[in-house]
Parts: sequence; structure tokens; C-alpha cells
Amino acid sequence: MTRLLDSPPYAPRDDALFLAELTNLTQRHLAGCPEYARMWPSWTPGALEQLPFVHVGVFKHVDLVTRDAELVHQRTLESSSTSGTGASKIALDAASSALQGKSSRAILADFVGDAQRPLVILDSVQSLRRRGGVSARVAAALSLQPFADGMHFALRDAADPTSMKWDEVLALLDAHDALLVYGFTWILWQAWGSAVPDEVRVALAGKRIHFVHSGGWKKLEAAKVERATFDAALLGGLSDASRVVDYYGLVEQVGVVFPLCEEGFRHAPAWGDVLVRDAHTLESLVDAPGQLQLMNLLALGAPYHNVLTEDLGRIVPGACPCGRGSRRFELIGRVPKAEVRGCANV
Amino acid sequence: MSEHVAWFGSGAHTVAVALPFELDALLADWAALRVPMARHLPEAFQRDEWAYLISFLEDANLRGAFVQAFGAPTSAGDAKRLVRPAGDVAVWLPNNVSLLGPLVLILLSITGNALRLKGGSRSADLTGAFLDFAREHARAGVLRDLLADSVRFEVFDREDARNAEWAATARSRIVFGSDGAADAIESLPHPAASTGFAFTDRRSEAWIEPALLTDERVDTLIKVFAIYGQAGCTSPRRVVLVGGDDADARALRDRMLARWEGVRKGRAAANVASANVMARQWAAALGWDAVLCPDHAAVLATGAPELEPFDAPMGLPIVAASIERTLETLPSNLQTIGHVLRDPSSPAWLERVARCGAKRFVPLGRMHHFGPVWDGVDFWRQTFEEIEVDA
Repeated sequence: MTRLLDSPPYAPRDDALFLAELTNLTQRHLAGCPEYARMWPSWTPGALEQLPFVHVGVFKHVDLVTRDAELVHQRTLESSSTSGTGASKIALDAASSALQGKSSRAILADFVGDAQRPLVILDSVQSLRRRGGVSARVAAALSLQPFADGMHFALRDAADPTSMKWDEVLALLDAHDALLVYGFTWILWQAWGSAVPDEVRVALAGKRIHFVHSGGWKKLEAAKVERATFDAALLGGLSDASRVVDYYGLVEQVGVVFPLCEEGFRHAPAWGDVLVRDAHTLESLVDAPGQLQLMNLLALGAPYHNVLTEDLGRIVPGACPCGRGSRRFELIGRVPKAEVRGCANV
Repeated sequence: MSEHVAWFGSGAHTVAVALPFELDALLADWAALRVPMARHLPEAFQRDEWAYLISFLEDANLRGAFVQAFGAPTSAGDAKRLVRPAGDVAVWLPNNVSLLGPLVLILLSITGNALRLKGGSRSADLTGAFLDFAREHARAGVLRDLLADSVRFEVFDREDARNAEWAATARSRIVFGSDGAADAIESLPHPAASTGFAFTDRRSEAWIEPALLTDERVDTLIKVFAIYGQAGCTSPRRVVLVGGDDADARALRDRMLARWEGVRKGRAAANVASANVMARQWAAALGWDAVLCPDHAAVLATGAPELEPFDAPMGLPIVAASIERTLETLPSNLQTIGHVLRDPSSPAWLERVARCGAKRFVPLGRMHHFGPVWDGVDFWRQTFEEIEVDA
């Protein structure tokens, strides 16, 4: 268990301690996960950049589990598989889940405060009822549970963002001055950003709402909806204390999320870190775009503690004017897809 | 209208081929197109692709289709058989193909049949790009007229009404694609006397005797694999070192690694490089001894034939096995075996090839060569009809 998780998420950190703990965690995974060990047969401890990572795509093809007498694996977390290439499967264990809950609570509290208020989830309650597994969407919503004095699933049909239970939202607004609302970015826009009925808009006036969303901007870009338009549509008429928090996260880094700070950057927490690598050489880059590599000290049950993503980012040197002291980066998008041509029957 | 006759074969096997153009003139026009092609590379094409198209247009190569079907060229004689174009040909091309469309276009253009080609609706349009180039740069004459009057290329999806229209009117239907795509076209109403050809998903292999591996042949293997990776039906999905051992497999892998940059120019796309990083780890997790090529352009993996396969667009498994073990581990849809063997024409090899279901057994460097017989089907010849002559 990491001591760093007891510190404020964006306070200055003992980097040597982080490296030592991540190296130790790596060795535990190498000892307990034979598939991971076969990926890195000749690794020896060294610098942060040399720690053995797992490419994010591997989780779609190989069931990676770290066996350890102290670990109890409970369920599998699955990605949303929007690319059509299959879902990532992350083996969750009790000990990691506890750490991940603590992590996401600390990170999100830094952006939305830690007051309790009703949590409105733009999903249907049926999404909770899958046996043995949990979707990325539900997992993301549940990360806000520590700030909720009640959870309210606002969609009648998870696949239909227009199936909002506005009557229930109105009842909540009648009883509370503040709400926390979570949705995938695209669903939040369709369900709330562009379709609030007049009577709800009246009830929202002056209320303090924190909207938290994740899942990426791809569909909104296609619909030519920019961030300013998105935020303005959500915040119109609300209290000045209301916020829209866009966070980046992936199931392969469960528990560590990267909200966008007021200056437009994302920050690694004290118990995590980020590198950027060149796709062709894996050279570690600073202030140049490349593939993001995300690390954390929370993943005990499978080697998702160090993941090379297919997201593009840039490490931004220097201190962030937002005041958060940890390493910051800019999220640029996805590695662009180029067609692989065949000769004939494919 | 068939107004010109070309003669092939000899004696009792002399064949008169009636065509709507003078064959020598058309072949000369195609060959002449190579000059502007050598000067200008259209943006849609990669250099390797364009170079292969240029070589494909050689007179001897195109004339070879007639020779293969009807015999060697001869002067006018006492023909016992007369053949002529059977009628309109409709071709459905799949997505994500490279040169298949241009090659089919060229090869079928010399049959004298009017030609309609449907391009993949989700892929780069190389057929249209080549046709545009040829129409612009062909010299005035037979070829230019033919491309203007007898060749149509259109792009539409599987729901489009033109699928049914083309099936209902074509004398020959040629479908490249998945089983489902082929079934969909064949299920459309079509003339009873028409003919359908379906070329569906196939896999190929390279069979190599380790002792015959020169640097030149290693370079050939790199070229043959790297142009399409795992995406081509004629690409080697695995290399089998026949009669070799694990050390031979590792030695070949290391030679390919060492020679890769000298053979392959240009960087892989970033997503391909990333996919290869993933594939190397996936392969290693499964027990393959996998390494990345320079710039992460490909993954080369050695291991036992029984290992679970990994799927990577630019991943090449290299296994050592006896011929018996090789035959036991072949895919059911085997198409091409590219060989580097001491005596590939020996009865022993031919017996094995006949038994294993392969459609082509060709030297390694000819694996991607497209021809008038494909997947064991003489489709090009069957776009002609035969008239019995007893004068």
C-alpha cells in the first residue's frame, strides 16, 4: 500500500519514493503474472522510463491477472469497446478497489469539493445489474459515489439519451440547492446540454451543479460542438459556483483520472505519473507529442499499473498557473489511423 | 463487335481468338503507358505498388494470359476452335485492397469484354486512380478508346440498387471479398447462362529449406511480407522452415532484422508502429519469442507451430517444422505456398501440394503475382465463349 496516497493529490512528491514503490509493484506483477513476465524477460530495475509497461491493446487479447496469496480477485471491468476491436478486460481485486476508490475521491474532490449532494447518473439502473462484471460507464459514475448522499439513475433506457426522467430531476431540484451530474460526454450533451425542458431550466436557475463527464470528444467534434459551447449550454442560468469538469481516464487506469484544470492541462497525482513516448522508438519525450504512458501505484491484481496508451499527449514543462504542483500534460487525441492495405481477399 | 482475330496454338489445337481490337495494338498501348507511369507516381499509390503495376503491363506478361489459355502465338492457320468474348463482366472489389482492382481491370480489358468494376465503399480508391491516370496518359488509339467506351468504375455500398442491376445484366460476375459478400451477390437474380466466380478469404504461407536461405532470398522474404503484412491473401501468414529447428528460426529472424532497413524504405504509420508494440507483447505473452523490427515496422516471432496465434497486421510468425507437422497445421483456406525448396517440382512435393489444398505453389518472390488463373479457377479463360468450327 502506497504512503503517497495519503498525501494531497497534487502536492510536491518524493520522486525517489514513487520510483521505489513502482519498481516494487512491478516486481510483484512479474512474479505473479507469467504473461507479463514473458513480455519483459530481461528487465532489471532502473529509471522510471525503463519500467516495463503493457500496451493498452494487450488487455483486449490476453487475460492478465497477478496471482498473490494476499489478493482476492472479485470481478472484471470492461471497456466500452467503441472502436469495434473488442473490450479491454481488467481483473479487479478488493485491495486495489479500496485504493482506487480513495484515489478517485481525492482527485475529484480537488475539482468538485467533497460536500455530499445527490448524484445524478446519466445511465439506467439496469447497467448496474450485470453479473460478474461492470462497464466502464458505470465504474466512472461510481467513482463519484463518495460525494453522493444518494444516487439517481436518470435514463429509462441506457441506449437512449433522450429517455431522461426529468420528473425525478425536478423533484431533486425542488429539494436541493446542489447536484452532482455524471455522464459520458456525448450522452451528457444529448441528454442535458442540448435538450433541457423549459420547466427544468427554470428549476435549475441559481442552483449549484457540478457536471462531471468523461469519454472523449470524438462524437462532439463530428457534431461540431466545441468545448465553450458545451460548457455554456450546461452552465447557463446556474450559480457562478457551478462547474463542468471534463476528465480523461481509461479502464486500464481505473482509480486514476485526469480532470482538465482551469489552465487547460491535466495533472498526474502523487501516486501516479505520465510519460510520452515516440511511437517508432519508444524514446521518452518532453514538450513533443507522442503516445501517453500512464502509471499508478494502485493496481495490485493485474499489471495495469503501467500502461502505454494509444492516446496522444504532450508533457508540458514548467509550473502550471493553476497551482497544482505535479507533472502536467496536454491530451491531444488518438494516434491517427492509417489504412493497412491488403492485396485481395480481406 | 469482334473484328480482329489473333491466332494461338498449333496443329489440331490452333485457336482463333476474335477480339474487338487488334491485340498487338492494345498490348503495345498498355506497354507504352509504362513511360508516363515511370515519370509520375500518383498520390494514391505507394512506390512498390506502382512499380509492380509497371511491370505487370509488360507485353509478355499480358500476352502470357492468352498463351496460358490458348497456346503460343502463331500465324493464321486451320483453326478448329474459335473463341470470342462471352459478354459483359461485372467485378465486385472488396475494401482495403491494394492493387487487385487495377490488376483485374488490366487483365480483363484484354479479353474484349465490356467491364464494370465496383470499388469498395470503405477503402482507398486505387482502381479509380489508376483508371483516371490511364485515361489521361494513354496514347491515342485502341487503349484510350477502350477505356473510354468499355470500362466503367463505380463506388457504391452493398445496399445500392446497382448491385442487382449489374448481376442481372452481366455475363460473368467476379466477386472478391468475404463469404458473406460473395453469397450476397450470388443470391441476386442473374441470367441462367451467366457465370459467377467468388474469390473469398484465403491464407498463404512461405515454405523454406533453411540451407537455401541466401541474403537475396531473405530480402525477397522481407519484400513479399512487408508490402501487405497479414492483410493480403497472398502474403505469408507464417514462414515454415521445413526440416529446420528452433535455431534456424531464430537465425532467419535475426537476418531479417539485420537486413530490414536495407530493404524497406520509409516509416510505418504511427498506428501501425503502436500496433506492433502491442503485438510483440501479445505474442510474448503467448510464448512466442518476438522482436520488433527497426522503427517498429513489423513483429517477427519464432516459436512452435502449436503456439496460439497472435493477430497483428504486420506480425510474422516463423516456425520450424517437419513437412508432416507443417501439413497438419495448415489453414483450411490455404491459397498460396511461396517456396524456397531444393526441388519443388519433384513428385514428392507435387503430391504434398495436391494433398494440402493449396491453390498456388510458386517461388517465394512470385507470391503476389496476379494472373488469369486465381484460387485454382481459370476465370479469365471463362470470360470467352467457344464456337465449334468444322469448316
